[in-house]
Amino acid sequence: MEKMALKYSSYKSEKAEIVDIKKLTENEKLFRVVLKNKGRLDHEPGQFVMVSLYGIGEIPISVCSSPMISDYFELCVRAVGKVTRSMHKLKKGDEVGIRGPYGRGFPVRILEGNDLLVIAGGLGLAPLRSLITYVLDNRRDFGKVHLLFGCKEPKDMLFSDELEQWNKRADIHYSCTVDRASPDWAGNVGVITTLIPGVDIEPSRTFAAVVGPPVMYNFVIKELIVKGVPERNILLSFERNMKCGNGKCGRCQIQNLYCCQDGPVFNYEQIKNLSEAI
Amino acid sequence: MKKPKIAFFDFACCEGCQLQVANMGEGVLDVLAAFDVVEWREVMSEKWDKKYDVAIIEGSITDNHAVKRIKKIRKKTDILLAYGSCATIGGVNGMKNNFELDDIRKYVYGESYKFFPTEITKAVHQVVKVDYFVNGCPVYIPEFVTVLKAVLQGIPYYVPDYAVCVECKLNENVCMYAKGITCLGPLTRAGCNSWCINNGNICYGCRGMVSNPNEKSAQDILAKYNIPIELIMNKMNMYNKCREIV
Amino acid sequence: MEEYQYVVLKKELFNDFIVRLAGIKKLIAPIAKGYNNFAYEEVRSGEQIALKYIPTILPAKKYFMPRNETLLEFSTGKKSNVEAFIEYESLTLFGLHTCDIAGIQCLNMALSERPKDYNYLARKNFITIIGLECNEYCDEFASCHLVNASFPSGGYDLLFTDAGEYFIVHINTESGEEIVNITEIFNKAESLHLNELTKIRENKRKVFSNEVPIERRHIPELFDRSFRSNVWKEIGERCLSCGNCTNVCPTCYCFDIRDELELDMKHGRRYRVWDSCQLEPFAKVAGGFNFRKERFVRQRHRYYRKFRYPVDKFSRFFCTGCGRCTRTCMANISLKETLNQLVKESEDRVWKRWL
Repeated sequence: MEKMALKYSSYKSEKAEIVDIKKLTENEKLFRVVLKNKGRLDHEPGQFVMVSLYGIGEIPISVCSSPMISDYFELCVRAVGKVTRSMHKLKKGDEVGIRGPYGRGFPVRILEGNDLLVIAGGLGLAPLRSLITYVLDNRRDFGKVHLLFGCKEPKDMLFSDELEQWNKRADIHYSCTVDRASPDWAGNVGVITTLIPGVDIEPSRTFAAVVGPPVMYNFVIKELIVKGVPERNILLSFERNMKCGNGKCGRCQIQNLYCCQDGPVFNYEQIKNLSEAI
Repeated sequence: MKKPKIAFFDFACCEGCQLQVANMGEGVLDVLAAFDVVEWREVMSEKWDKKYDVAIIEGSITDNHAVKRIKKIRKKTDILLAYGSCATIGGVNGMKNNFELDDIRKYVYGESYKFFPTEITKAVHQVVKVDYFVNGCPVYIPEFVTVLKAVLQGIPYYVPDYAVCVECKLNENVCMYAKGITCLGPLTRAGCNSWCINNGNICYGCRGMVSNPNEKSAQDILAKYNIPIELIMNKMNMYNKCREIV
Repeated sequence: MEEYQYVVLKKELFNDFIVRLAGIKKLIAPIAKGYNNFAYEEVRSGEQIALKYIPTILPAKKYFMPRNETLLEFSTGKKSNVEAFIEYESLTLFGLHTCDIAGIQCLNMALSERPKDYNYLARKNFITIIGLECNEYCDEFASCHLVNASFPSGGYDLLFTDAGEYFIVHINTESGEEIVNITEIFNKAESLHLNELTKIRENKRKVFSNEVPIERRHIPELFDRSFRSNVWKEIGERCLSCGNCTNVCPTCYCFDIRDELELDMKHGRRYRVWDSCQLEPFAKVAGGFNFRKERFVRQRHRYYRKFRYPVDKFSRFFCTGCGRCTRTCMANISLKETLNQLVKESEDRVWKRWL
């Protein structure tokens, strides 16, 4: 067997440095990452990168910072698998590998001039934070912006500082709910779908962006359709197991679609007849 | 980085797994370079009664002395690794569970059997928490080394949960059933690189059963080959009797 | 058919040819493993080769996409470094049937789709392919005609057709021509040889026919109609999820990527291994949710990846009709039988509508 260096490889990543780590909850940390070649990631909201911990493995993580920020990007990581748990042990200054960005994100150009209804369940807020911050950075281009956020318990709330800031802003309507309240919780209790009927939008010119755990989608979509949001305007981002990001390894396939290349963001019309999607 | 202290212990077993490790050739030097071995009965005479980082357990738990001893070891170690069929799934010692305990004691100890208390055979995780499993009789050394690396890295190791057939097919072995021989590969967990079949032997099921076998279909297949289910169950019970303990 | 594209090899010179061919670079050909099992392995002489063989246990993809392939080598720590490699071997593969050549054509398509798989694309350039035409069916499990793989259609450097006393050899590429020139053992083809080839092909047209009663062009529609068919449920009940059907498939290329460190914790490699959509954890996410949890869903996915999804993307089936999945299945899940059942079920539905 001979060996040949490969000038182009679909599997080699860029060196990147973790410049800051913030603990968000018991299980989630926010990593601020800078590419060592000083390059810009140049992602779209909703796209993901493949993060390498050499010797442990590589996983897809959605970028959760605004594309308007050029000198770093952020990844929100829940410690749940082998690589993510190891990632939680990393320190400031440690190195990771980054390749990407991959996939189709939220079509921000198409969203312009429309109202936005952003619906985030739990960790789904991470990719949507990229969209929300992008929209706020370009606020003039969009109509009304609503953000609905739901999580299990108040202590699971991600980006609570930012949520509080957004709550104070006049140009974004924010409401949230928890499945189970704690004694000091004064807000809504119940699943996220209970918030939808009360949202004041003009459905025909509204785009909904929905990201959350697998169980959430069907219920939210049903409510949105009742509300009158067109199927094409319901944008969903899917979490799948991925190994390559190149539409090859087959894990993220939803019938004929590859989540990593054709998604992770799909509109409801595209996937409503695909049985393995939601 | 300080080398982790590692200690090998044996319970009811043939000690063949530690022999495998001792016999791994030059590779053992790499293991010794990565770990500080403080106790290993088959290889060295020193004993260690302080704490250690990793305890490597061979053998199954068959009496109350063993229960006490394994619990003591668990308290003294950060990480406990069970290796070999006896430790991970009960192994051949589990055949004892086919009989009444008193019958066994009478058979072995005769008249004075009452002086020799015993218990049903258990795998190590049926008594104390186990952090890493290396299945197999004996352990497959490449897998053992992979698990040691996972220990050093502080990451989990998952025993493959699919059939030996997967690896066997990749090794292009002629299927034993095509030769008219029964083999437990279709029901047994992979990870051994179909070691036995590569060498002309059948799979004896020493790595334990896959967690979600299609039992109904397996029965149909046995019927197709005219193999009585009892025969397969007996073969399976040679290593896997302890899976019935809940 | 142009005469200059063809040469002839007398059968008594076959062994000499193989010895000379093995002298050029490492030569791989089908060999008998007993119990009617065959495998591609290295050979040095003609006697080792099984000229009459049913498809090998593993297809030739094992050379194009090795089952354990290094993608990267890396060192960790302060002086971290990552390098991308391919491991390759210069090989000649002799004796591939048209089904296996079709399999490589499928892999070529899938892996050159952007983003390209440079590991595969770089390696395939080191492999010479010499085909061996089937003049009759290998066994009852083959369905090569249904998927249009029973007759040669490119994908090789040289193609051998058995004409009794001699082989007629089609030169398809320059590297094929090079082999003819270097081995100096072929004779020029004359019109009588080409007439013989025409006769063989005409005869083949009588021997090979659609193995399932459906026209090729109607297969995608059949699958469009059959997604909720009970046939899948029935297959799912029988499937053991051993992954054999995908591992032996010449067009299955799904993989897993894993990391491995040396015991010194400083050096390591990232490698890919064949994986199977039939194994339970394949589509499971870290949180535990499994998008193809049931066996029938996984089996259905396999069939649609052969007969429906690639049609839109690559305008061809990703089944080559080799029959390996059927031969290897302990539960007797038969590709031909499945298609037959789908056709029958579909016809029943049509009749019901008319009655």
